[in-house]
Amino acid sequence: MAVINVTSGSQAVLTLGNTDAMSLPGGSDALVIPLMQDVTLSASTGSTRYSTLDSSSSSAFTTVNENSVSLNMLLDGTVFFGAGSGTNTITNKGLLETSKDKTEIFWSVAFNEGNTTGEYYVKGKGFLSGLTPTASIDAAVWVTPMEIIVNGEITKVIVS
Amino acid sequence: MSVIRSNLIAQLTANLNNSNVSVSAELPFESGGNTLYDKNMKTLYVDEEQISQDTLYPVLDRTNLNLNTSTLNAFVTLDAKTQLSDINSIISNVLNAKSVITNTITSESDYDTEIVLDKITYTFEFRFEKTV
Repeated sequence: MAVINVTSGSQAVLTLGNTDAMSLPGGSDALVIPLMQDVTLSASTGSTRYSTLDSSSSSAFTTVNENSVSLNMLLDGTVFFGAGSGTNTITNKGLLETSKDKTEIFWSVAFNEGNTTGEYYVKGKGFLSGLTPTASIDAAVWVTPMEIIVNGEITKVIVS
Repeated sequence: MSVIRSNLIAQLTANLNNSNVSVSAELPFESGGNTLYDKNMKTLYVDEEQISQDTLYPVLDRTNLNLNTSTLNAFVTLDAKTQLSDINSIISNVLNAKSVITNTITSESDYDTEIVLDKITYTFEFRFEKTV
């Protein structure tokens, strides 16, 4: 047993791409989201409770999972508004346009660097949402949350 | 000389033109046990810029956004018995010189005074914050 350390800038990385291969850690033309303050993977199991006459405690059964990836970041102008070129359409159009267009994207979250044997990452596909850029005189820079509404399963990968 | 100190001295010189106080580019060092502003009354001296850096936003990829705080002090000693006729204008113009430093998050200035015998020393403090 060991904790998963986050001790360097190449760990805890969110990567986006318009194909599955592109979105993997270290993927060619991948968009690595810069300036993240935090990232949260939510794999929430749905459930329904019901009561029966023969029990003083409620019972439950599970329903479908509702998965998401959420984060807070400082705004990088090129990443947010798009580079205007590149084979990765998210890099090209930027996060805002991709979110507005409701384009399905592929993503991965590397728990460590995700490229060495035994390291972990999770991947999936989904839609960008929750962009709420905010600036204030105290904040000094633009900051925004973002959410990836995961479409389908989260896939666990242990690099082999 | 730091850019901020240099720009501040230039603005102070312009703001105090035609007043009873002049501005020196020299540092307020001590000579013969007296600071220059005690020795040369009615001359404003600006001390060296002091910089402190704090992390404003730590981020996971370690490209942290830092906050640089620059502090500069300026000193002028005057006759406490007979105040200068334009002292209010001088104080106002010194405090307003902070506006020459641009691209800052905050620009602040204030002052305090100390009277020793028949001399009054005005100590001005300028504070500027920038992200780097």
